[in-house]
Amino acid sequence: MMIPFGHALSFAAALFVLGLTCVLLRRQVIMILIGVEIMLNAASLVFVSASAYWQQVDGQVFVILLMAITAAEVAVALAMVVYLWRRKRTLVADEFNGMSG
Amino acid sequence: MSESLLFLIPLLPLCCAVINMLFGMRLPRLFAEIMAVTGVAGAFLLTILFWGYAEGEGTRVVIFTWLNSGAVDVSFAMNFDRLAAPMTLMVTGVATLIHLYAVGYMHEENDYARFFGLLNLFVFAMLAIILADNLLVLFLGWEGVGLCSYGLIGFWYRKLENAKAGTKAFLVTRVGDVFLAIALLWLFAATGTLNISEINAQAASISPGVVIVLSLLLLLGACGKSAQLPLMTWLADAMAGPTPVSALIHAATMVTAGVYLLCRLFPLVSISTVGMTAITAIGALTALYAATCAMAQREIKRVLAYSTMSQVGYMFMAVGAGTVTGAMFHLLTHAFFKAVLFMAAGCVIHLAGDENDIYKMGGMARRGPVELFWVFLAGAVCLAGLPLTGGFFSKDGILLALFTHPDPTYRVFWLIGVLTALLTAFYTFRLVYLVFAGEWRGTGHPHAIPLQMRWPLWPLALLGLIGGMLNLPALVGGDEMLHHWYGDLAGRAVTASHSTEWMLIGFAVAIVALGWFAAHWRYRNYRPPVENRVSRFLLNGWQSDALVDCLLVRPFTAMARFCSSGCDRSLFDGTLEGLAKMATRYSALLVQLATGRATTYLSAFAWGFLVLLGWFLLKLVNGGGH
Repeated sequence: MMIPFGHALSFAAALFVLGLTCVLLRRQVIMILIGVEIMLNAASLVFVSASAYWQQVDGQVFVILLMAITAAEVAVALAMVVYLWRRKRTLVADEFNGMSG
Repeated sequence: MSESLLFLIPLLPLCCAVINMLFGMRLPRLFAEIMAVTGVAGAFLLTILFWGYAEGEGTRVVIFTWLNSGAVDVSFAMNFDRLAAPMTLMVTGVATLIHLYAVGYMHEENDYARFFGLLNLFVFAMLAIILADNLLVLFLGWEGVGLCSYGLIGFWYRKLENAKAGTKAFLVTRVGDVFLAIALLWLFAATGTLNISEINAQAASISPGVVIVLSLLLLLGACGKSAQLPLMTWLADAMAGPTPVSALIHAATMVTAGVYLLCRLFPLVSISTVGMTAITAIGALTALYAATCAMAQREIKRVLAYSTMSQVGYMFMAVGAGTVTGAMFHLLTHAFFKAVLFMAAGCVIHLAGDENDIYKMGGMARRGPVELFWVFLAGAVCLAGLPLTGGFFSKDGILLALFTHPDPTYRVFWLIGVLTALLTAFYTFRLVYLVFAGEWRGTGHPHAIPLQMRWPLWPLALLGLIGGMLNLPALVGGDEMLHHWYGDLAGRAVTASHSTEWMLIGFAVAIVALGWFAAHWRYRNYRPPVENRVSRFLLNGWQSDALVDCLLVRPFTAMARFCSSGCDRSLFDGTLEGLAKMATRYSALLVQLATGRATTYLSAFAWGFLVLLGWFLLKLVNGGGH
């Protein structure tokens, strides 16, 4: 059974908004990162469903690429989280305002 | 001696100058002094040895090529000809004696290497002017003597006024040099060459209007170096330098370089009647101006400085009257007697305990060595033009040339010349009476006068007295040696009937006698100086400094002040600073956006995203409408 393209898009949009809300509202760096991951996954979902809809393989290829990039990004981001913790013993994002103008 | 060795004449002083400047302080003092003197004395001896090469068309020696590009072909070349040879002999000869004198004069001075280095360098630069084959080398020497003059006037630079006098001399003569440089470039444009003899040969083919402008430019250039009106203000102040410098540079040699330049380019200058009249007029006015100033001066060296100016004015008159012989004759005799006057004045100042004011001297004839009075008197009678002295014959020749000039306006210049002669006799004897007659009025303790300062005076005094032999007029049985030596370079031959000549001579004698009697009557018995408006006016050189200050310095300062505070500081700086302040104020608003918190930026992203989304939606709605 084919899931209709519209459903998939709606679900992806809902997921994206959820991720964005998480990024904007949560104050912990880790939670912001999780929100970013959710938004990325929403994007991946759009790629996959579009690929299935138009019967083109490009979208799936792109998702695999995206997974790899996400993995790398998470590795860097978590390393930075550890570093930030060491610096200020806190992970509240607003505490880090060293770039203030 | 081979003619290719001619270059040794200027090279010897140059080498000594370089050695003295580089290593002088490490050499034993005696060695440095002996080297300085022998360098110049060597040049003098070489000039005598090479004398034969000057005869006929002279000898041209190319040392090396300096510039060679297209039409410009300038080489370091020397032209040892009939005009250059007597001048070279005079400069090296007088310089040798003055160097010797300087050894004595400066013997308490610690900075001897700088002094003798500059003095030797000056002799080199002066020889470059005299021997230059082309105008560019001449210009090089011209600037060189200016530089040395600057360095030597301000020799005791720790006193601010000396340094200022040096700067003043440098700047005022530079004004003349600019005109000379313009004349040089113009000559090159007009004739395509800088070679002096080629320019003289082509002079007739230059258009008459250009020749007038060129001779006026050359005249202005000569005025700067020779302290003629209107560029004369520096010479009196230049007396701040050591006395040997005043004797060598500001009396005998450098100030006459302008006369020499005009004589060198005489075939060109003499073409334009306007130029010749201008030269005579400048000379006449300067002669009279300086003579009036000299009457009121109080410092012994300033009297002599103004008299130099006045005598150089006579030389200009001679050039303007068309007689190169007359100009060079007076140049040579003047060099002798003025050098001796300056050197004797240096001795007098020594004896008076560094006192310059002639009103605080007096009785010097008995106070110092007796020969000092006699050599000073020898120089003074030459300057005053007492009959049978060198100065008498040379000055008389010039006055005769002015009197017999075909143009009747020259009679006016002759009259000015005669009046100047009267004033000259007056101020010269005033000087003699005030310094040597009567009782000692000063307070200073005399310094001893070393031997080197005494005996160089004798040959010069003798040369000044018998200098008339150089060009004794036929009237008194002379053979006009200098005139025949110059031959075709001599300019107009001055011819007059015997009765005219006798009349003029009688007149000149009467003038000198009148001047002497006036001075005798006024200054035989000392009377304190009268201070009034006229004497102050003359003392300050007709307020020429104030005039220059009013006409040039103050307007220039005002303009500079307007440019700096009016334009630069108010207008430009104000506008730019206003703009900068505005930018700073508005940037403060923008700074508030940069909180440095990641969350702020993230929400900004989100808002941007929302705007984009809204925009797309709007397009979608509009697109649907179509």
